[in-house]
Amino acid sequence: MDGVHDLGGRQGYGPIDVNEPPEPFHAPWEARLLGITRAYTRPASFSIDWFRFVRENIAPTDYLTRPYYDQWLQTHEAMMVAAGAISVDEFASGKSAKAHPGLPPAMTVDKVPAAIRGMSRFDRPSDAQPAFAAGATVKTKSMGAAGHTRLPQYVRGRVGRIENFRGFHILPDTNMTGDGPAEPLYCVSFLAADLWPEAAGRKDRVYLDLWESYLERA
Amino acid sequence: MSGDHAKRIGAIHQELHSHLPAEPALRVKALESLLVEKGLLDSATVDAWIEVYTEQVGPKRGAEVVARAWTDPAFRERLLANGTAAITEIGFEGWAGGHLDVVENTAEVHNLVVCTLCSCYPHTVLGIPPNWYKTAAYRSRAVRDPRGVLAEFGEAIPDDVEVRVWDSTAEVRYLVLPERPAGTENWDVARLATLVTRNSMIGTERDLGLHLGEIA
Repeated sequence: MDGVHDLGGRQGYGPIDVNEPPEPFHAPWEARLLGITRAYTRPASFSIDWFRFVRENIAPTDYLTRPYYDQWLQTHEAMMVAAGAISVDEFASGKSAKAHPGLPPAMTVDKVPAAIRGMSRFDRPSDAQPAFAAGATVKTKSMGAAGHTRLPQYVRGRVGRIENFRGFHILPDTNMTGDGPAEPLYCVSFLAADLWPEAAGRKDRVYLDLWESYLERA
Repeated sequence: MSGDHAKRIGAIHQELHSHLPAEPALRVKALESLLVEKGLLDSATVDAWIEVYTEQVGPKRGAEVVARAWTDPAFRERLLANGTAAITEIGFEGWAGGHLDVVENTAEVHNLVVCTLCSCYPHTVLGIPPNWYKTAAYRSRAVRDPRGVLAEFGEAIPDDVEVRVWDSTAEVRYLVLPERPAGTENWDVARLATLVTRNSMIGTERDLGLHLGEIA
């Protein structure tokens, strides 16, 4: 979606806080929330792309003004409401009105050491052939997508170079509502000077991982 | 179809915004107690995960990976060829490490990592990202003005060095392999690792030789 989350190249967001303290969490509630999100049992439909889509739909005024972990919090709240697992009233009162059946029990402490090493893969086996070879010149689609997509606005309708083929990866556009088809994923690079006036005359490049349906032959 | 999802989720966000306190600490408490009441969460497990990302999984892991690559050419080669397989060799596989790509700084190339669309980060080797990595300021500017961003972090990148910005748009996660500073020829892995900063592995720091004076 063409939302406020698509920040690449936007201007006017001010300086970066380069002197941030090194601690991983800057408030106890941030750590608590991170711990909760690693530990709680959720419906299987909560994919990484569903999470991103729900976060992208936070009102722009909230997205840009609420701290990062507050956005995470609101995303988890909204996903649980959408799944019928916790109601807005329950969140508002802090009191559980009904037990939620049909989900596996809570993760216990003894499961944590193995879960630390748990690793999701997003590539899938396929006999199909990728359409583009390394070195090929491609053009990205100029039109956005109505729903979730991972083609940022700043590289739409631009000419780039295939760096390498990364295998068949599940497509976020459809994965947001289930494990959709896997498509060839490529690392594609763009000459920065083709994207930004500030880079004129430089050989700097910008690299993105893009799915085949985002690309056309140039 | 996705329009319906957007409408439904937008309405839920609006309801949450109007009925819940703005203060996140209060909402986190409510979330935790509701999940516990519903049997979906054990608070002791939350404590354990906080300890994991405070004590165990953090940039020290990435620093060890880098120091090993500096001292073991065969490991460096395996790391650059397949980051996930190489970190698995040393037991560092985990969250967001399933497709790890390690990009190497050289005298001619400087790498910088960002996620313009959200906040993708190689947690299993760098831990919890700094807040600045997740801000609109960094996400918007890193792709457009990487040299300006680096200047803000105190790094002047020479004109003849090519800057490569990696925007994490898929499930590939990036780790920068910084250059080994001169004058560290006889150092072992443990000592070298003390030189390697989190920012150097994101790419907002380039010259680790500046830390030489700080390390005994």
